[in-house]
Amino acid sequence: MFKTFKKNFNLASEALWRHKLRAVLTVLGVTVGIAVVIVVLSAGQAIKDFITGQMTVFGTDWIEVEIKVPSTAHTSIENVGGLAQGISITTLKISDAEEIKKHPNIRDYYAGNVAQEVASYKEKNKITMLFGVSASFIDIDPGEIMQGRFYTEAEEKGLAKVAVLGSGIKETLFGDEDPINKSIRIGRQNFRVVGVMAEKGSAGFFSMDDVIFLPNVTMQKLILGIDHLTFIFAQPYDNSLARQTAEDITLIMRESHDITDPTKDDFIVMSSQEALELLDTVTGVITILLFAIALISLLVGGIGIMNVMYVSVSERTFEIGLRKALGAKYSDILNQFLTEAIIITIWGGVLGIALGVSLSFLISYVAINYYGFNWQFYLSLTYIALAAGMSIAAGLIAGLYPARQAASLDPMVALRKE
Amino acid sequence: MAEKPLIKLINICKEYANEEVVTKVLFDINLELQKGEFVAIMGPSGSGKSTLMHIMGFLEKPTSGEYYYKGKKISDLTEDELAGIRNQEVGFIFQAFNLLQRTSVYDNVRLPLVYSDKNIGDEAVEKAIKSVGLYHRKDNLSNQLSGGEKQRVAIARSLVNQPEIIFADEPTGNLDSKSGKQIMEILQSLNEEGKTIVLVTHEKYTAEHARRIIKIIDGKIVDDFKVKHQLLAKNENDLTK
Ligand SMILES: Nc1ncnc2c1ncn2[C@@H]1O[C@H](COP(=O)(O)OP(=O)(O)OP(=O)(O)O)[C@@H](O)[C@H]1O
Ligand SMILES: [Mg+2]
Repeated sequence: MFKTFKKNFNLASEALWRHKLRAVLTVLGVTVGIAVVIVVLSAGQAIKDFITGQMTVFGTDWIEVEIKVPSTAHTSIENVGGLAQGISITTLKISDAEEIKKHPNIRDYYAGNVAQEVASYKEKNKITMLFGVSASFIDIDPGEIMQGRFYTEAEEKGLAKVAVLGSGIKETLFGDEDPINKSIRIGRQNFRVVGVMAEKGSAGFFSMDDVIFLPNVTMQKLILGIDHLTFIFAQPYDNSLARQTAEDITLIMRESHDITDPTKDDFIVMSSQEALELLDTVTGVITILLFAIALISLLVGGIGIMNVMYVSVSERTFEIGLRKALGAKYSDILNQFLTEAIIITIWGGVLGIALGVSLSFLISYVAINYYGFNWQFYLSLTYIALAAGMSIAAGLIAGLYPARQAASLDPMVALRKE
Repeated sequence: MAEKPLIKLINICKEYANEEVVTKVLFDINLELQKGEFVAIMGPSGSGKSTLMHIMGFLEKPTSGEYYYKGKKISDLTEDELAGIRNQEVGFIFQAFNLLQRTSVYDNVRLPLVYSDKNIGDEAVEKAIKSVGLYHRKDNLSNQLSGGEKQRVAIARSLVNQPEIIFADEPTGNLDSKSGKQIMEILQSLNEEGKTIVLVTHEKYTAEHARRIIKIIDGKIVDDFKVKHQLLAKNENDLTK
């Protein structure tokens, strides 16, 4: 058993050595195939986590009410585009939030708006995202204070010009300097820094660490000059009832907005539960897509192996004829060619895994260090095993047909093909 | 004769069908070879000598007729059994050498041992190469050899697995008469050890080693006769000069 294996291994190695270039090219084909599979699968995992991280930065137990252009779907281009083009929906008010809070499953809420302004301290300027939220934000959101304190409800009601900095913006404006009680300029007004948030980790493209928090009412009155809201984040007592609660909130909202036709809704209610489910479908689709790409690249790799094996058989018809003439049996020839295919796929597998893992690492390194994305590097044994297993299977299947053809050649017919 | 003939051909015909043309090469060949014979097959080019050798050497199948080898009908044998016979019992020296390209002399000669069940060590490879006088070339690649050297590699390869029958299709065709005689000497001594030799040749001096000469013209045996002992004796004198 071992002896025949050794014999086949030697025969196959000799044959591959005689056709070095071809062998190397085939190995390369398999390598690329496997590397692509590994890169694609790890990238898929990273993208999934990236999106999930994006979603869970606001916690995992909330029900959000957000403005929406009537007659459009929440995630539709019409809605997002409409809002971006300045169709302003001014109907969401703090009174809506107070109505929602009366629901028995709602503990508390925070409401707010977002804006962008230049923030500056001394010589340093930065265009910054402003998060105008209620003082209750700090109790509801997973984010925590690192230094100083969050602003109070009293300050919000009194239109106090106080600000809490995200850890990133604190670094940008103050560096190592203590920011507490310092005055920063936002737009044309001065705000007193009362606290700094703990680092939250960047969640994708949009980093909550580069945000300045202002009391909602202060931002409404002094910066935006409005009295409506963009979003309300409500916190349920029992998150498992979130779906029902979200439906109740929809009805509450319709009643207070006098809406009878659901398509005319000027708001959308979504629970974290629904968001995560939606996310699951999205990542599911991404996974299937990536899998399809991986499969296609493997298929291409397999066809490559098959092609080379086929060419190698027809190119070596004479050799096969000679071996048979000198006494090689069907199984001898079959095993030699199969062993060649196996050696090639194993080499391709090893190199492909090395290349795929290095590339995945490189991508994650570049994404994190040069683009600041939270792109995790995954070294998943499952993916590696999957890629290697599929490549060996592809190699064997691809090698089998030409090998069988070679083995059943008639010796004299094959010898005349010189 | 009490013993079964080693090879018995009954009404062997061979034709090649290529697309629309059918080429008839052998017509009703009837032939018996005994173990230990030294036979020369002679005849003009294209008369079917090589074809007959391939059939007798289990490399090709006749179109019709029966081939009995050691009393067994070979049409009853499987491909693998035939491969076994080719490996264990037959040494075939091809007219066209048929060496493996880009492969050393040594590995070419060793090739039959790769598929052999006989316990023959690698020293047999060196011995066979030495016997054809190519030891100094054993590590050269086959495509770096001259025609005569290639022929000698082909001969060494046919000897390495210690076959019972050697089919030699013009083994001296590319050799000068001195090297040719050396090769004939090897075949002669193998025959004296009891091996059966079937030789195709055009040259008289090689045919003179044989004890039986079969003449083929246009695919038919036209003559088949034993050679007088005198010739043999005379030849042995020649070689010892
Ligand atoms: N595969 C083939 N297909 C068609 N015709 C063939 C084939 N092989 C041989 N022939 C024909 O069969 C005839 C006999 O060929 P063969 O090789 O047996 O001749 P030969 O007696 O050995 O000749 P030479 O002395 O030149 O070697 C030739 O006419 C040849 O063209
Ligand atoms: Mg011939």
